[in-house]
Amino acid sequence: MTELRVRAVYPELKQLVSEASRALASLDANRLEELALSCQALNRDVAPRSAAERAVLARQAREAAGDLAVFGRVLEATRANLKVMRRLRQLHDGRFGYGDPEWSGNMHGHD
Amino acid sequence: MGTINSAFSIMSQALEADQAALNVTANNVANANTPGYTEERPDWQQNAPINIGGGINGMQIGQGVTETGATSQRDRVLNERLDQQQQLASASSARLSALNAVQTLFTPDSGSTSSSSAGDIGSDITSFFDSFSSLEANPTNNALRQNVLSTGSTLAGDISNAAASLNAQRTALDQEAAGVASQVNSLTSALAQLNLEIQSSSPNGDAGVLEDQRQQDLSQLSQLIGINQITTENNGLSITTTSGQLLVSEGQSFQISTGIVNGVTNFFADGNNITPQLASGGGQLGGYLAARDQDIPSVLNSLDQLAYNVSTQVNTLNNGGTDQAGDNGNAGDIFLQPTQVEGSALGMSVVITDPNHIAAASLGAGTGDNSNAIALANLASQAIVNGQTPSNYFSNFVTTLGSTVQQVQTENAAQNASITQLQTQRDALSSVNLNDEASSMTQFERSYQAAAQVFTMLNTIMASALNLGEQATVA
Repeated sequence: MTELRVRAVYPELKQLVSEASRALASLDANRLEELALSCQALNRDVAPRSAAERAVLARQAREAAGDLAVFGRVLEATRANLKVMRRLRQLHDGRFGYGDPEWSGNMHGHD
Repeated sequence: MGTINSAFSIMSQALEADQAALNVTANNVANANTPGYTEERPDWQQNAPINIGGGINGMQIGQGVTETGATSQRDRVLNERLDQQQQLASASSARLSALNAVQTLFTPDSGSTSSSSAGDIGSDITSFFDSFSSLEANPTNNALRQNVLSTGSTLAGDISNAAASLNAQRTALDQEAAGVASQVNSLTSALAQLNLEIQSSSPNGDAGVLEDQRQQDLSQLSQLIGINQITTENNGLSITTTSGQLLVSEGQSFQISTGIVNGVTNFFADGNNITPQLASGGGQLGGYLAARDQDIPSVLNSLDQLAYNVSTQVNTLNNGGTDQAGDNGNAGDIFLQPTQVEGSALGMSVVITDPNHIAAASLGAGTGDNSNAIALANLASQAIVNGQTPSNYFSNFVTTLGSTVQQVQTENAAQNASITQLQTQRDALSSVNLNDEASSMTQFERSYQAAAQVFTMLNTIMASALNLGEQATVA
């Protein structure tokens, strides 16, 4: 019964972690920010639980360990991808920055 | 200049330029569903202005623009990153598929209707040594002696069948790998030809459809093998394996050849055996070779160790006792005695047919003695296989295999997620305006920041949950 009650209030940790991996894979910033808020709330509530609820949470934590490893690796890959995208962005900024003043100064011909 | 005629001329050029730009847009719409097609944007070139008057008081009148062509909105750096991730994901997918097949083999009750199953090896070991424990109680009982042979045959049969299945999987992987090499050769030939066409038609600019085709071929090649891409002069491209063997140098391709070495296909480039480098290089080929040359041999080696040590220890004890016929120290081997560790699993079998040759009595004792049967039964709890009991050794072997599968699954899931991210970014880059591109980058940054927070908090929550759970259990 205790387990059912805990499940009704909080999602399984395993589901939460895999949801985070999916959201990160698709770069769903809104969903990830919602999940961050959920995690904040969950983090606040971990300590005051009853012994039975804590045991359920411990079981959930063990089951979610593999999914957290996946999430960690996706985060790692995202960091590397972000690095590539930042470099690309810098390249693009440089390209457009170089061309813009000359281009805008002579637009009257096309007008 | 500066007359009404020049004004008309400017307007006319502008209209032509707009028309050309519309054609580019129409082409984009028409190819919206074409695989590998990269959206093009019109390139505008300002016409040379006209100088009126001279000196510092002179002025310039613009002469309008001309549409000079279209540039595909591809980004080679991003595509290359995507290709690299694809190489890793393809390698882990191929390896995972092979490892899953191996793991299925060792899963108890895996659905096999056969009475012999590798998944039962753990219980086979227990049954075999238990049969000696039963014999202790009545060492002259023929049915109990027959049971020792029967359980021994089941154990040997399951180990031998597992080894045969592993060898069959290895052969299948070998054939897959050889097939990949021929696909690689076709693609590198096509890429060399495309290089020639691109270098000849667009040495200084984007080659449009030809470049799309080259990118598609590169993506396909990345699924097959780990590669490095090197941009060369005049829009050319050289391709090497990740370990540096040249596959394409602009218009020339270099084929990978194959040959059989020690019973398996090996791969050669320019006369050098590059098989080990390919195994760690990525792509399907890397995955197949890693499974063929590392994972399966490692599993086979573990089985060989088990078979060798169990056979040798059981045979040694049996030859050191007295059998039912009264033979002292000459009862013979129960299992076929292996000469070396390698191949022991495949060759494992029970060689005695007469249960009277089981030496239940110790050397010199009467046939009713059970001392040697006790010693044989005790092997079950002795560290006779690499410092472990036979059951523990097998159990740890299955656990290690499971961990390896889990690890490769994790890598594969992360790599596929990374590919999804990069594809999203590539689509954003090639199909939207610059504002949307900036917005896409912001989305990326936000996602990463939020995900990093989620990860940190989940880590804390899970660590706390485990600690709290242990305290609760103790309480």
